[in-house]
Amino acid sequence: MSVKIALAGNPNSGKTTMFNDLTGSNQRVGNWPGVTVEKKEGRLKGRSDVIIQDLPGIYSLSPYTLEEVVARSYLVGEKPDAIINIVDGTNIERNLYLTTQLIELGIPTVVAVNMIDVVRKNGDVIDLKKLGSALGCEVVATSALKGEGSKEAAARAAALAEEKRGLSAPSVFEGSVEHAIAHIEESIEGLVEPRFLRWYAIKLFERDGKVMEELHLDRALADHIEEHIADCEEELDDDSESIITNQRYAYIAKVVSQAVKKKHTGRKMSVSDKIDRIVTNRILALPIFVAIMAGVYYISIGSVGDWTVGFMNDTLFGEWITGGLTALFEGWNVAPWLSGLVIEGIVGGVGAVLGFVPQMLILFLLLSILEDVGYMARVAFIMDRIFRKFGLSGKSFIPMLIGSGCGVPGVMASRTIENERDRRMTIMTTCFIPCGAKLPIIGMISGAFFDNAWWVATSAYFVGVAAIIVSGIILKKLRAFAGDAAPFVMELPPYHSPAASNVLRATWERGWSFIKRAGTLILLSAVVIWFLQAFGVTSAGFGMVEDNNDSLLAAIGGAVAFIFAPLGFGIWQATVGVVGGLVAKENLVTIMAVCYGFAEVGETGEEIWGILNTTFTPIAGYSFMVFNLLCAPCFAAMGAIKREMNSPKWTVGAIGYMCGFAYLVSLMIYQFGGLITGELSFGLGTVAAIVVLAGLLYMLLRKNRYSEYGGELSVNAAKKDVKVNA
Amino acid sequence: MLPLSMAGTGEALSIFKVSGKDEVRRHLAELGLVVGQEVTVVNRLGENLILQVKDSRIALDGRLANRIMVT
Repeated sequence: MSVKIALAGNPNSGKTTMFNDLTGSNQRVGNWPGVTVEKKEGRLKGRSDVIIQDLPGIYSLSPYTLEEVVARSYLVGEKPDAIINIVDGTNIERNLYLTTQLIELGIPTVVAVNMIDVVRKNGDVIDLKKLGSALGCEVVATSALKGEGSKEAAARAAALAEEKRGLSAPSVFEGSVEHAIAHIEESIEGLVEPRFLRWYAIKLFERDGKVMEELHLDRALADHIEEHIADCEEELDDDSESIITNQRYAYIAKVVSQAVKKKHTGRKMSVSDKIDRIVTNRILALPIFVAIMAGVYYISIGSVGDWTVGFMNDTLFGEWITGGLTALFEGWNVAPWLSGLVIEGIVGGVGAVLGFVPQMLILFLLLSILEDVGYMARVAFIMDRIFRKFGLSGKSFIPMLIGSGCGVPGVMASRTIENERDRRMTIMTTCFIPCGAKLPIIGMISGAFFDNAWWVATSAYFVGVAAIIVSGIILKKLRAFAGDAAPFVMELPPYHSPAASNVLRATWERGWSFIKRAGTLILLSAVVIWFLQAFGVTSAGFGMVEDNNDSLLAAIGGAVAFIFAPLGFGIWQATVGVVGGLVAKENLVTIMAVCYGFAEVGETGEEIWGILNTTFTPIAGYSFMVFNLLCAPCFAAMGAIKREMNSPKWTVGAIGYMCGFAYLVSLMIYQFGGLITGELSFGLGTVAAIVVLAGLLYMLLRKNRYSEYGGELSVNAAKKDVKVNA
Repeated sequence: MLPLSMAGTGEALSIFKVSGKDEVRRHLAELGLVVGQEVTVVNRLGENLILQVKDSRIALDGRLANRIMVT
């Protein structure tokens, strides 16, 4: 018989560290059924019969965020044998709020007072015995980061689970409330499982919608319960939910005053406060942020990263593997089609992807460090002011930052946004930011048409940011996204030095989502595309073709190329490039080179710059770049969008929006640009572009029918006036 | 009595009333922002502020701060 132990605790309580400490590499990561909240499960090190279930970080068991719903339905529905409740010892009062709810569930619970090393360093003393007897459960001091006490907590929980002894919750509430709860317990006895009786009674007292729905109480019973609640509310002159909340805190305050001795009472500036004074300072915040991010990108994309890409593409794949394989195949007398498939198709295609791996890992390593240290939460706070102006919250900024490396973990990072509307909007716009794999496209266009001018890459990021801003403003005016961004509230964790294990794990999880694609989709597509461009029908019948223009790929690409004619690149090679870009953006350059008959090209396709320059005009080239930056991301990122949206309708909507937006923007660039440079004359295309521009301006400038912001803003202004006058 | 959005930085304040939608109020309560709780504004960035509540730092925007009355 295996034992199931659930790990529950507030965000930032060190839950992830403890989970990693307890299970080591023995983990399975998945999703909770039906939602996109991450589910992590693992076996206890040294005890394969004990399963540790990591629950999402939550502040309470009220059912209002996705995480809370998941945690709650797991605890009540799947009935783990025991709970380890991780409590941040340095913030014990707030953390015990969840504890008082957990112990009502009647499941054997061990409270792990975590970060005990910091508590000791502060000179505070926590009396574990007193705390334990007041809460009615076992208490263990732990420091997950230092590996102290975690094992003991797990062993105690496992022992409790095997004993199967229920837990008797203390009386947290005052007389009249306990009285009403007892009455409710009495009236629902038999309707619910005995161990959850108290929990259900308290939830009914709070008028918890989900529980009322679940129990299907008949009218008479519901009225009877309502009577008790109303009586109690009248007596205490407050609503039932606030009564419960306040009395929980009152009980906790009492327990803490007995069990915790603080060395410093009263407020003292902590190190975190001092850092925040500077880092979130109204004048310095943005410059510091820009400097840090510039440093991150300089290291990961500029100096070190650039060197690794050069090494991987030119030396490892370009010389060693390709050279080695060519020599090997010649020695074996391998058929030319097979050696072509392996070297040009597979090594060329997959190698182009793997070449970016070290660069990506460096970027994710640096971002994970910023996250673990606690700076990312401040970034959300700093950016909130700016993002709110166009309908997004500061929390949307982190997915975009990660998306500048790879869109897949970027889209996945949108999970931390509680509000569904905001989350969907973030998912739809995150991929507008040029990811690492789009850099070769930018490099190709900038090299082929603009003499590698610096402004091309800069303008690509600018286009991405502008696309997000414009989309934010436009989407907010649609009914599906109506309403202001959810209010911004967020706990800022204390700064601490990064833990190597956490940082490396996060880096690897993000990097892996990028690498995984190379072995599957990209490998397959590389084979298919190589075949399509190498074979074709000529006067001699079906077979390998000398001239690429006779290939199957040319026929297919040529048939749909007309779609892109209004954007300036209606030729088959460009069309195939766009499709190849959907497989992987970094593939686009290689595939276009293949279309022009080059087997092996450099990262930005220097070899085909000359050809591009004679087939396209610079405006068409720029339009081609913008289209590929903004349109549907690669398949892997589309897969991530599908998982996170968790709805076919929204997935199609998001990808359709991106493609449509990209098409219209490129149309305007080519048509207006062409008119200015004189390469196009006024025609149907110009009219279409004018219509699009007018539509866009209308969407941007029209009044938002769904916004209450106008009203709210004037209230703010009025208040400010009062302050000035006073 | 004044809204938190107008309170001075560094002063020890006590929450008198939290108004607004139930959902938001509940979330604020979970984070420790309940009537009677002592709070201090640690820092301001435009309308957004950072509060010290119990032993944690909570960031919130100006519109929410308008809903919390302190004395």
